Amino acid sequence: MTRRTLAFSTVLLAAVLTVLTAPARVLAAVPAPAAAPAAAPAAAPAATPAPQSAPASEADHVPSVMPAATVELFEALPVQDGGRVKPLRSLADVTLLRLSGKRSLSLADGSKLSAPEWLLRVLLHPELAVEDPLFLVQDDAVIRAVEIMVGEHRKRDRYSFRELEPGLSRLFELAHEAAQLEERERSNLQAQTVVLASNVNSFLGLLDPLEATRALALLPPGVGVDTTAEWLTPADMEQRGRQALSVDPEHARLMGLWQQLKRQRHDATAFTATLDEFQRGTRALMAARGEGGQVDLELRYHRLGLLSHALACFLLSFVLVAISWLRPASRWVPRLGLCAAALGTLLLCAVIVLRCVIRGRPPVSTLYETVLFVAATGCLLALIMEWMTKRRVGLAAAAILGSVGLFLANGYELLDKQDTMPSLIAVLDTNFWLATHVTAITLGYSAGMLAALLGNGLLLARLLRLRRADAAWERELARMIYGIVAFAAFFATVGTILGGIWANESWGRFWGWDPKENGALLIVITQVAILHARKAGRLRAFGTAWAAAFSGTVIAFSWWGVNLLGVGLHSYGFTSGIHNALWSYYLLQWGVCAVALWPRGPAEATPAN
Amino acid sequence: MAERAPDQHGVRRPRSVGQRFVALFGSLELSCTLLLLLGLLTWLGTLAQVEHGLFEVQKKYFESYLLVHWLGPVPIPLPGANLVMSVLFVNLVVGGMLRLRASFDRNLGVLATHLGIALLFLSGFVKLHHSEEGHVTLFEGQSSATYQSYHRWELAISEALPDGSVREHLVPQEAFLQATNAQGVRLQGSDLPFDVELRYFMPNCSVGADGAGGVMLRALPLDAQSERNIAGAQVLLRGHDGSEHAGLVWGRDLHPFGARVAERRFAVDLRHERYPMPFRITLDDFQKEDHPGTGMPKSFLSDVRVQAGPTERAVRISMNEPLRDEGLVLYQASWGPANAAPGAPLFSTLAVVRNPADQWPLIGCIVIALGMAGHFGRMLWRNLRRQGARS
Repeated sequence: MTRRTLAFSTVLLAAVLTVLTAPARVLAAVPAPAAAPAAAPAAAPAATPAPQSAPASEADHVPSVMPAATVELFEALPVQDGGRVKPLRSLADVTLLRLSGKRSLSLADGSKLSAPEWLLRVLLHPELAVEDPLFLVQDDAVIRAVEIMVGEHRKRDRYSFRELEPGLSRLFELAHEAAQLEERERSNLQAQTVVLASNVNSFLGLLDPLEATRALALLPPGVGVDTTAEWLTPADMEQRGRQALSVDPEHARLMGLWQQLKRQRHDATAFTATLDEFQRGTRALMAARGEGGQVDLELRYHRLGLLSHALACFLLSFVLVAISWLRPASRWVPRLGLCAAALGTLLLCAVIVLRCVIRGRPPVSTLYETVLFVAATGCLLALIMEWMTKRRVGLAAAAILGSVGLFLANGYELLDKQDTMPSLIAVLDTNFWLATHVTAITLGYSAGMLAALLGNGLLLARLLRLRRADAAWERELARMIYGIVAFAAFFATVGTILGGIWANESWGRFWGWDPKENGALLIVITQVAILHARKAGRLRAFGTAWAAAFSGTVIAFSWWGVNLLGVGLHSYGFTSGIHNALWSYYLLQWGVCAVALWPRGPAEATPAN
Repeated sequence: MAERAPDQHGVRRPRSVGQRFVALFGSLELSCTLLLLLGLLTWLGTLAQVEHGLFEVQKKYFESYLLVHWLGPVPIPLPGANLVMSVLFVNLVVGGMLRLRASFDRNLGVLATHLGIALLFLSGFVKLHHSEEGHVTLFEGQSSATYQSYHRWELAISEALPDGSVREHLVPQEAFLQATNAQGVRLQGSDLPFDVELRYFMPNCSVGADGAGGVMLRALPLDAQSERNIAGAQVLLRGHDGSEHAGLVWGRDLHPFGARVAERRFAVDLRHERYPMPFRITLDDFQKEDHPGTGMPKSFLSDVRVQAGPTERAVRISMNEPLRDEGLVLYQASWGPANAAPGAPLFSTLAVVRNPADQWPLIGCIVIALGMAGHFGRMLWRNLRRQGARS
């Protein structure tokens, strides 16, 4: 009875999650609604002076959203940002995420703006944008510290630029003080002050007049200028004009078009036509330079929203697997579950392939990509295992790994708030080592996490005293775990040694006891110890499962934990959200391992060993 | 181990001394214990780096035979990684290779894997005991035929000879590291007209005014990054003719301490130990390229000329593309000054390593990969066939 209730609640939870993610999926996949109702009267009180010279009466009739076709054109503009050429959509997405902590902006009238719509609004109607609740403040202590009076807000809330404006000088003063400290020495309040000041600063860059914006490098330099040259912003062009420097005629024409846009902002048809001409011009220049070959593919990557679809598939698969536990006789439910998991894995693989093509890189070169790769290869492994054993264990593992992996990827993106396809620093600029060392070690992570998941399955089955979990079932599961640990040990060992060889090629030493190297070594040691202990007969079914489950925390330490230590050549920066998630996992896993060791009554004496 | 049935793991009941040795040092239980100990040391050594820096931690946890780890106020004695890995090496050779002779063909993969790991251990041992490492730092246009250590100090006593050449007497750091007090240490050279007294050696210090118009050395705590420490000491030249010349030597002084003794001119300098290179290297050009519009480095490269005897060749050294020549490997390691104005001359730092075992890990890796793939592949195949037979 208890087991049934538990299973039902799991199914219910999964169903709710599926429903909850559905609207997000629709939003991600479909371009902006054609024309939302005019939001201006509520959003722009005429009494407040706007930072720009737009008369209030004009603002009163401004629609908050441009037609979908215009937004599509706008988000497809190529721009140079973070050292690479990308569609404006990528820049808008990351900027809005960094400022507001969300991928879309909810306005006071209840309408929602996608990131490109929001950016368009900031550029064309800054007098409205300054009123939008944009800046996410995690703790209102920051607001109190900058001594401004604002209306009623929650502790964690979003503030408009207009609300923050009176406290800006104090905010920058405090942020400047805090920035003198090392990052790890800053208090929570100081860290948040620095973040808010930096966000306000980014926004101020966008508030420049459209004709002279310095935030968007939209104009490719002339043909023949080397590929490492910086693209020009409208502000650069204006400066050239002021200094009477010679301006390329095509650049002059494009600037003329860009300047027209502001004047045409109330005439959607004319605006769209001019924007189209502008983007054709910049794209022709870009193509002549041989740059930005993957801009369209990157845009399609964003518009397809394959990750959300993959997540929906995995959640559905999980629900079906849970139902199949309740109705073991049913043949169709697990088959459907298998289809859903396979489809999710396929979509996830498609995402990885797309990213490889866009970046011209092997599958893994950033921490974010390790999550996608671990989820994809873990699911593939689990499905292969399912194909070999047909015990529904692999299927359940795939559904869980896929769902958790994609939740983590999404969570990481929300926490990190950076471009997930960044330029790489000099030492990483080598496709050979990224393809060999990084891929191998990440495969080690993925197989290790799958083994840990299966290990937990056995421990929980024992703890919950499932009837199906008899000694034979445990032995078979332990054999699977052993096989996967062997697979993981192979890739972790080879990957770790390859990492040493790479270090020898770039830093002149094979092994330097750097934290990331130590983390990789810890994984190898743990897995090799499991293999030897099993060979020695010291670990049987329960022991293998227990050790594999525990080794999950070793992998997590190596994968994420060492990056939080803030030392060594491999440190990627500190993210406190990751810290919390990581410790939750450690404690949960150690808790399960500890409870599983608890001696049980004689009635249920060890079934397997 | 001894109680287990003889056929269980291919180990017979020990009889002779040799068999006892194999049973003890070749046991899988010993392997597991050592692996777990090594894991514990690696974990503790990783966490300790947050406070103590890599260099100190490496010496304490990884290059030691015994150590005491402090868990708050509680001292915990532990074997050092050097000891653990040495025993693990014996365990690996005895257990992983000797014991498996019985069923050679079935265990070929396991044997190969253990052989590869043994090669890795050996290359680590050779690197630890028979390698030299340092750096050569050059501005564009400069050249050098020596490289210098990051950590080790030496006292260089140079004499300017009448023919314009310089003769050097070098004292390695072992001679004066302990001379930290007023008594110091007295160094003698066979053809020097004086003895050198070195006192108050400080492994890390700065130079400041002594309040009487002169300068003095001020001791500083050791930096966690060992290459940042700058050593210094008081030096006194006691001439055999009864003259005395006192001064200071400091690792980063611009001019060495000079003295004229018995009509001969000498300079005494405390500097990072220098090693000769079998060629002269000249930095022609250093380029640092950023990703456009960012401060993020895209590539570093040094165009150098390597001159050995009458031959000269141009080489480009960049990240991941070192120069290998005459047993030395030169890597692009660093550059500066970090705050250089645009167009100002830059220097390039090339790390220099002499390591006889440089390429051994690559061989080890290939052997291990083949061994593990062979062994696990065979096991998988056997399982699949067994499963096929059952269904």
